[in-house]
Amino acid sequence: MNMMSELGMIAPPRVTMTGVTKRFGALTALDAVSIDIAPGSFHALLGENGAGKSTLVKCLMGTYRADEGQVLLDGRETQINSTRDAQKAGLGMVYQHFTLVPSMSVAENLILGEADLPAVIDWRARRKLLRAFMADMPFQLDLDRAISNLSAGEKQKLEILKQLYLGSRFLVLDEPTSVLTPDEADQILGLMRDLAQAGRISVILISHKLREVESYADEVTVLRQGRVSGQGRVADLTRSDMVQMMVGEDTFAKSEARSTSGSGSTHLTVRGLCVDDDKGVAAVRDLSLELRSGEIVGIAGVSGNGQTEFVETLAGQRNETAGEIIVDGVPYSKTRKEIRAARIKLLPEAPLDNACVRGMSVAQNLALRDFDQPPVAKGGVWLDKAAMRARAVDLITRFRVKTQGPDAPIETLSGGNVQRTVLARELSDKSNILIVQNPCFGLDLKAVAEIRRRIVDARNDGTAVLLISEDLDEILELSDRILVMSEGQIVFETPREDADLQEIGRHMAQHGD
Amino acid sequence: MTGTGFMNTMEAVAINAAAFVITMVLFGLYVTWLGHNPLDVYYVLWLGSFARQISIESTLTNAAPLMLTALCTAIPARAGLLVIGGEGALVVGGVATVLVGVLLSGAPFLVGVTLMSLAGAIAGGLWIAFAGALRQYRGVNETISTLLLNYIAIAVMYHLITGPIRDWERVLKTSSWSIPEELRVGALPLVDVHWGLAVGIVTCLILYVVMRKTTFGFGVDVLGGNQRAAQMAGLPINKMVLICCFMGGAAAGLAGAFEVTAVHGFASESLVVGFGYAGILVAFLSRQNPAAIILMAIILGGVAASGGLLQRRFDLPDATTQVLQGLLFMVVLASNAAYGRLNIFQPAAWRTA
Amino acid sequence: MEGGDLGWWGVVIAVIGGAIRVSTPYLFVSLGETLTEKSGRVNLGLEGVLVMGAMSGYGTAVITGEPWLGVLVAGCAGAFLSLIHALICTLPRVNDIAVGIALFIFGTGLAFFLGKPFINPSAPRLPDLDLGWWSASPQVQSALQINLLFLIGFTLALFLAWALKNTRWGLVLRTVGDSEEAAGALGYNIAVVRILGTVAGGFLAGVGGSYLSLYFPGTWNEGLSSGQGLMAVALVIFARWDPVRCFYASLVFGGATALGPALQSVGITANYYLYGAAPYFLTLALLIYSSSPRKALEGAPGEVSISR
Repeated sequence: MNMMSELGMIAPPRVTMTGVTKRFGALTALDAVSIDIAPGSFHALLGENGAGKSTLVKCLMGTYRADEGQVLLDGRETQINSTRDAQKAGLGMVYQHFTLVPSMSVAENLILGEADLPAVIDWRARRKLLRAFMADMPFQLDLDRAISNLSAGEKQKLEILKQLYLGSRFLVLDEPTSVLTPDEADQILGLMRDLAQAGRISVILISHKLREVESYADEVTVLRQGRVSGQGRVADLTRSDMVQMMVGEDTFAKSEARSTSGSGSTHLTVRGLCVDDDKGVAAVRDLSLELRSGEIVGIAGVSGNGQTEFVETLAGQRNETAGEIIVDGVPYSKTRKEIRAARIKLLPEAPLDNACVRGMSVAQNLALRDFDQPPVAKGGVWLDKAAMRARAVDLITRFRVKTQGPDAPIETLSGGNVQRTVLARELSDKSNILIVQNPCFGLDLKAVAEIRRRIVDARNDGTAVLLISEDLDEILELSDRILVMSEGQIVFETPREDADLQEIGRHMAQHGD
Repeated sequence: MTGTGFMNTMEAVAINAAAFVITMVLFGLYVTWLGHNPLDVYYVLWLGSFARQISIESTLTNAAPLMLTALCTAIPARAGLLVIGGEGALVVGGVATVLVGVLLSGAPFLVGVTLMSLAGAIAGGLWIAFAGALRQYRGVNETISTLLLNYIAIAVMYHLITGPIRDWERVLKTSSWSIPEELRVGALPLVDVHWGLAVGIVTCLILYVVMRKTTFGFGVDVLGGNQRAAQMAGLPINKMVLICCFMGGAAAGLAGAFEVTAVHGFASESLVVGFGYAGILVAFLSRQNPAAIILMAIILGGVAASGGLLQRRFDLPDATTQVLQGLLFMVVLASNAAYGRLNIFQPAAWRTA
Repeated sequence: MEGGDLGWWGVVIAVIGGAIRVSTPYLFVSLGETLTEKSGRVNLGLEGVLVMGAMSGYGTAVITGEPWLGVLVAGCAGAFLSLIHALICTLPRVNDIAVGIALFIFGTGLAFFLGKPFINPSAPRLPDLDLGWWSASPQVQSALQINLLFLIGFTLALFLAWALKNTRWGLVLRTVGDSEEAAGALGYNIAVVRILGTVAGGFLAGVGGSYLSLYFPGTWNEGLSSGQGLMAVALVIFARWDPVRCFYASLVFGGATALGPALQSVGITANYYLYGAAPYFLTLALLIYSSSPRKALEGAPGEVSISR
């Protein structure tokens, strides 16, 4: 049985990967990567997006099959071909996206993964076991709560509990803190470290946050472009060593020097805004803010605190239940006419799903804002496809979109180039208001630098920019004013000059009233 | 569905042709199992649909309402709705035509026919627009609501033709009052097919131009491709959905109007012969392209037209054509999986990482 | 007129009796659709499956003289038709709702085609259980003549409600229907679970069809079902994917369907077709009532496309 009482008795396996190579077509995602994790160690896997961190652990967990190289468990070569195999060997993965079943209870989710789940479940006996298991855990959850009512931090805890319950002694945590407040992150990683130090589990922490690696990991492996660029004990490395290993020799242009902070006219006023989420629960509660010309206002916050619903409301994808949005002094109801008159531009998160039509070509997607205006529209009615195409060719060059041509479907483009396409569409003419959400999520450093530069350029030209991001560094780098959003409310505001990381973090964790 | 390239058209033609062949093979196996020679059955299908002038005329007479009911699915589908209410809209259009027609005794021919057609179109349009409004303002699934509306339309028609508007003179067949004889629509020049065919073709062509060449059509494609992108662009989504539903329903209502004015002269159970359901198949075969509907409706009209001959020659039940249509529908849907898989239609140049 | 002595009470009793008698096909189809949708698929073709079940059950009973064998064959025919649906939906880029429409057309067409020889011969009916023996009133007695399938359906509703929570199969089915991501991470074979869910749903819908032809109304013709299969799909939404609620909802729908004949039995024959349309109006009204433009349908499995 997968009883937690055994957790103290069975040691985690020693996991060794040697010379692991994985190719996807012409791309070599992993190039002869070796890694050795002793029982009870807390090992960080550090690297930029696309460096091969996920590929490496997927080769370990049986999701991918390595083209070359071996996996050794306690020194024996082992074939792991599926998640089930990994589970049997005591290896468990805590995914970045939650893999809990939303309509089920905590108890149901815990027993779901059991390999030998009986056909008929004796809930009375099960619950007894589960309660005993919970009592032995460093953190507890009520067995009867529905997943849909858990906070992000509680879901993350449950994911970990689930792995421990299933008998995993070797846990891979894939960017576990991206949805947590700094406090929750510290709590969970601290508990993991304690369990590891007691020799009860081993941990691989996938991360790109140096602070977490420094505070919790014993050892670190840094990947860059599919190769090991550094490996060693964290205590022996400085922060700049690790940065060097992550980014190599390349240096990127910092964002453009900014002109003096704008204190121009107010373009956007939000007053007492309330918005419901898909379940009809209040997601944005009584939110008010002002946005002036020539400034970037950054909204920091942990994912899932109403930011997406707020942006959707500004984008016309969701209706407010109360409050008002005022643009240039006039109530704003998000019609096409108003959007054009007020020159409101938008770069939402996941732009392929939120701001593009997958099946349509790059040229057609570039025309979304003005297909009913000359030159694309003739007489306001007829579509001039040649004009649409010609304009697209021009924008593709100006914004350096990498595409096979204006007629390629937009879904064939890489994430960075979809982002560039949307940015080209939104910033092709003068803008007054630019709303941006997580603009650099999942992009490589070059694309990040370019997109941030364009955002700052827009600000310098007098655009009022609202930047909603879960990346605190991004907020600190770009914003003139910083707001913190928690549980659907703005709970804190500070000018950038006075910004204090600890204070912002504390407010991110703050509960609304 | 928005790609306009020649390659895409060729791909659709090839896949549809393959789907036809597979369906015919399956159907051949089915009739073999029933003890018939499949080659004989194929020959009779050909004979009954396209081999002779009389069969071509019968095919085209069947194709006319199919074109219009197919639009009832195709136009809302472009905006992202799966509407299957063509049968009901046709019935409602037919009943409205009768109600207006009986008032128009003595009216000039063109005025009378125009008014009756308008009545049918408006009634059908409002019928489907109601389902569109339920979806936009109330979140009611439009596929289920339009299917229910079919049953409701048919029940309402039976209610009317068995009581309030029943023609008690006609004893053998329960039917409504007849429209004035002088307002009956006749045949086209040269062929013995009623004017509904010309109206069907012209309607398809007009809607092709509207959907493919105008800014409205582009906006509808954006909406059908991704509602969130359409919202972000500030498009008047509710209005667009209602317009598309109205246009589709109006087309099916027009089909009902011509079934009354050109074929039957009154409303009866003869309106409920499955043109609406076969229209859904035509729309899917055409990949919701109004111009392609003309061709596909003629092919499906041929299947319907040969049904009678199949019945007489092989003593097959009249449901034979429905079996064939259902089979074709399933094969066509399964063939969707083939799009983008055939390398010859995939310019390698489009493949970028 | 026999109902004359009871007056309007006769209508009420007839509606209640009718509800019990008419509800069984709704119940089986809605339980079947619940299973299918719990796996994350919509099978809109259960109307076709229902008619096919009615035909094959009746045909079997005519040929063998065994009505219960007919019920079994009806279930198998339904399972087979749904298997086609399930397999086509396994292919990429195939819309399950559209396949349901195709199955609706194909299933009814095939049933009419193959059922042609069975329109005239009469089949042995499924037997009654007389639960109204204690009453002197013939109306009450006839209202409480209950078929075993009704009781089986009721038991099945309770069983499914239990099984969805207390068996491995129930948990796996719900997982696959609620989150593909979770099911994938747990290593379940999503395609197989959905195929099984759809086939099981088709079996139940087929059995529901055999009730129509072998018990009430107890004949086979092309007008036998008029959308019961479709309404049962809508009923699942109203019942919020809960088997026990499906049972209650089926009774309500059965009562609505029985309204027309009940009124006819007390001599109200006007507007017969309009009363006959009562279940459609009821379905539409309940659909409008249960839906909301703002939030997702309550209780809907996360992967079901009908609720988005």
